[in-house]
Amino acid sequence: MAASIDPIHQFELKPLVSLGHIGNQEIAFTQSALYMFAAVGVIAFITIVATAGRSVVPGRMQALAEVFYEFIADTLHQATGDKEQRFLPLVFSLFMFVLILNLFGMIPYAFAVTSHLIITFGLAFLVISTVVIYGVMKHGSHFLGLFIPAGVPKPLLLIMVPIEIVSFISRPISLSVRLFANILAGHIALKIFAFFVAQLLLAGAWSILSPLPLFLTIALTALEFLVAALQAYVFATLTAVYLADALHPGH
Amino acid sequence: MSGNDTKGEGQGDRAPTDSELSARLRRLETQIDGKRPAASSDPSPRPGPSAHSSLGQAMTLSTEFIAAIIAGGILGWLCDHFLGTKPWGMIVLVLLGFVTGVYNIMRLSGFSGTNGPGGPKDRKGP
Repeated sequence: MAASIDPIHQFELKPLVSLGHIGNQEIAFTQSALYMFAAVGVIAFITIVATAGRSVVPGRMQALAEVFYEFIADTLHQATGDKEQRFLPLVFSLFMFVLILNLFGMIPYAFAVTSHLIITFGLAFLVISTVVIYGVMKHGSHFLGLFIPAGVPKPLLLIMVPIEIVSFISRPISLSVRLFANILAGHIALKIFAFFVAQLLLAGAWSILSPLPLFLTIALTALEFLVAALQAYVFATLTAVYLADALHPGH
Repeated sequence: MSGNDTKGEGQGDRAPTDSELSARLRRLETQIDGKRPAASSDPSPRPGPSAHSSLGQAMTLSTEFIAAIIAGGILGWLCDHFLGTKPWGMIVLVLLGFVTGVYNIMRLSGFSGTNGPGGPKDRKGP
């Protein structure tokens, strides 16, 4: 039992239904995809089924949906100052998706989908392509004004413009790496500390010490719940901030 | 006794201030209206994520720095790969990535304060 410590094992993808091969790469419906579908199902339940009653005095589930909605609407309005809220569906979906997947990851034996870089990078790439495509559609070449910081003397622009460009390209990377690293590191830490409990119990006299990692595991679990919610919030906030650039590029 | 007193005072206060209160409410509304566009246009100047908790900010800062370096490295690698400028694209752009990382952190932590080269602190950088 003690020999099987492998904190990475929990992130392995297990194909459930194989859909064939492309080259040597198997294309399969993995448990990751299953969790994503489950998350979409939960979100659909919260937002569609629970609010179907449209009661003036909301029930429990409807109140939950309204809290989420108003929270995101508020965040988005503060960041973009956009009265029409045209990005609300995107930001709301992203927030709910990340939040529910993060919380799914906290269920014991469940799989944390957001601990895979490709998932978070896919979401971040979606955000950045929205920024670029919408920005170019709306403002044309004026969108490039994003890379020219205001109030900078001309000779300094020679340095500032490349810095702004690298900064822009680093955005999807930081957005995705932040979420992925937090979830991955949190789950690995949880696994390792939980294994310490088992190992200490098997270690004869040292088993007196086993409550110590147990308390740490409990504390870490609480912290991980905080991180799960916080990272979803940070993801949504940063998305809103980046979308604000698409709406008002020249500043 | 004293309870009666305060009650009497409260009522005596309330009656005359009723119109005052509505006037105050109106003043407040105009003030809020004056503030609102400013507040909404305020966050747009710089993409400083207003993650309100300091924990969120701590996480933001570290990844922001690393991501800038990675972005510089990727750009440099692409530049080398497609333009054939073997070592130089990587060298220059990774260094630029470092600079961007520091700049990002300065911007996010509010070190540079206003947009652009505001103070003497900024001029020291380049």
